[in-house]
Amino acid sequence: MAPAMPVFAGKPAPTEPASNEDFLMILQRIFALALLAVCAALAVMAWPYQAAFSYEPVGPRAYPLLMLGLMSLGLLYLAIRPTPIVRKDDEPELDRETLIKIAACVGLLIIFAGTFEALGFILSAILVGVPMARLYGGRWLHSSLVVVGMSLLLYWLFDRVMDVPLPLGLLSVLEN
Amino acid sequence: MDTLSYLGQGFGVALSPYNLVTALSGTLIGTVVGLLPGLGPINGVALLIPIAFALGLPPESALILLAAVYLGCEYGGRISSILLNIPGEASTVMTTLDGYPMARQGLAGVALSLSAWSSFIGAFIATCGMVLFAPLLAKWAIAFGPAEYFVLMVFAIVALGGMAGDKPLKTFIAALIGLFLSAVGIDANSGVYRFTGDSVHLADGIQFVVLVLGLFSVSEILLLLEKTHHGHEAVKATGRMLFNFKEAASVFVVNVRCGLLGFIMGVLPGAGATLASAVAYMTEKRIAGETGKFGKGDARGLAAPETAIGASCCGALVPMLTLGVPGSGTTAVMIGALTLYNITPGPLLFEQQPDIVWGLIASLFIANIMLVILNIPMIRIFTRILAVPNWALVPVIAIITAIGVYAVHATTFDLFLMVGIGIMGYILRKLDFPLSPILLGFILGGLMEQNLRRALSISNGELGILWSSPISMGVWVLVFCMLTLPLLRIWRKRSLQRRAMADA
Repeated sequence: MAPAMPVFAGKPAPTEPASNEDFLMILQRIFALALLAVCAALAVMAWPYQAAFSYEPVGPRAYPLLMLGLMSLGLLYLAIRPTPIVRKDDEPELDRETLIKIAACVGLLIIFAGTFEALGFILSAILVGVPMARLYGGRWLHSSLVVVGMSLLLYWLFDRVMDVPLPLGLLSVLEN
Repeated sequence: MDTLSYLGQGFGVALSPYNLVTALSGTLIGTVVGLLPGLGPINGVALLIPIAFALGLPPESALILLAAVYLGCEYGGRISSILLNIPGEASTVMTTLDGYPMARQGLAGVALSLSAWSSFIGAFIATCGMVLFAPLLAKWAIAFGPAEYFVLMVFAIVALGGMAGDKPLKTFIAALIGLFLSAVGIDANSGVYRFTGDSVHLADGIQFVVLVLGLFSVSEILLLLEKTHHGHEAVKATGRMLFNFKEAASVFVVNVRCGLLGFIMGVLPGAGATLASAVAYMTEKRIAGETGKFGKGDARGLAAPETAIGASCCGALVPMLTLGVPGSGTTAVMIGALTLYNITPGPLLFEQQPDIVWGLIASLFIANIMLVILNIPMIRIFTRILAVPNWALVPVIAIITAIGVYAVHATTFDLFLMVGIGIMGYILRKLDFPLSPILLGFILGGLMEQNLRRALSISNGELGILWSSPISMGVWVLVFCMLTLPLLRIWRKRSLQRRAMADA
């Protein structure tokens, strides 16, 4: 029981990490229960799956239900007895700042998906890439240079050289 | 003798100029991808699938490209381990233990070339093993019926949890998520739409590339946000670049031993390079005993994990080619690629498409030689790539990932799905779930369901067919062993703890 030792040694116990670990345990329980609810919903969804004509004894319903059932058993056990999470040394704690950053990054990715066809590949890549580079600590000028250059290069490389069609979107006026 | 003539034919395929260029570009791309933080062999291979398809590569060239990328990634992972003390991926953790101290002692070049050499020997041993055993296994596997296949796949899934060790429950749950996800889409036997929510885009199921890139690339992008990476200072690779004969001879026995070990571990489903390198390092450390300077820059400590990684990578291709059952995340991706070409790996592949199988085996030899030759003069360029800061790297990864996903179907729905899967992957990672079982489950799921249904159709619904033949009985016994393995391990750990408590 090495982690508990400092407490007995009379040193002030590092409360932050301990509470973070508890938090992760609770999070794990919540996650297991949420996934369990999803499993149940999917099982309800799968219930009416019946083949109109069947030539085989096992229909389309059995396999998904079997998987969902086994998964539920595992999740139930996990919800009751969550396993401790071993954190790697280089992994910092999740604080508010990182969570905001992650939310921003997810938002950028969603914007990318949304504008990919409408704006076209080059413009949407620039629109999303520059703020993303900023998010990872790049300076405005450097980020813009790298991202603009890379999106043009990648467009040329994939669309022209490698025959992967990419949408031009707004820029299609320039092409004729 | 048959095998040798087939192998000759394979070299004929692999040595054609077109395939040589393919293998060369594959190894180069792979090395760079393996070098970059946050990109491993799984992403590397997955990103190239749509590209290989778009380029219109014939199936054997596509497979050669993917295999070369796979080997290249494993090679690239070592460079950051040795020079930065940061393992590029999980399997190279053991390489840092002795590789980095060697680099600190001014032997960076020697360490790099020696590890390349070790990995080459490992891959060479494994490829020889593959040439010997794969046709035998394939011949034997032809006798497998659907029931045997089903049981074999159950074994592959269970072995994942049994071998992976420290978190069997989470591994099982992850594998089950993958097994379930494979059921999404139209059911081929009955035409029933399953879990599509009336969306046209999900009718033919979740696209494999979307799942892989979402799970691995997007979640990695989010993980990189947490790590503050201030352009690590790499140890300069100066001085002597090549190991000398004495150094090579001193690790040769280690090479052979770990090569055999790595091959066996690679063939077993679920074990893979990570476990192989760890076991190899520990074994060699024990064999060396007091005389070794393990952990302080012992050449043997560097050679052992590298040989094992090289061998297990090639070994992992054996179950994939002969049985159609992938043993690792990366081989699962390669099976996904083959199904895009409408090729089902399995015992019949050896008879029907010998060009593909033997061309691949021969190109493994060639790619390994290329990597050794490339590694020595290119080290300086590779080390410069290590200095690329995250802010420049991550947007480019994100953009390329989006291209890869878009290239499959040209719909933005897939992009949204990728982001969704990526968030899920990030949460799972934070909660310490392993991700590659999801991938394996996804690949095996479709096959598993088909074989189960086929077997039960044969027996008219009688469940007894699943354990009627001696082969399936044998595999069930193995399944049972694998299931008890983690329980046994937990029990032993508990009793050890109790003894420690009693002593204290």
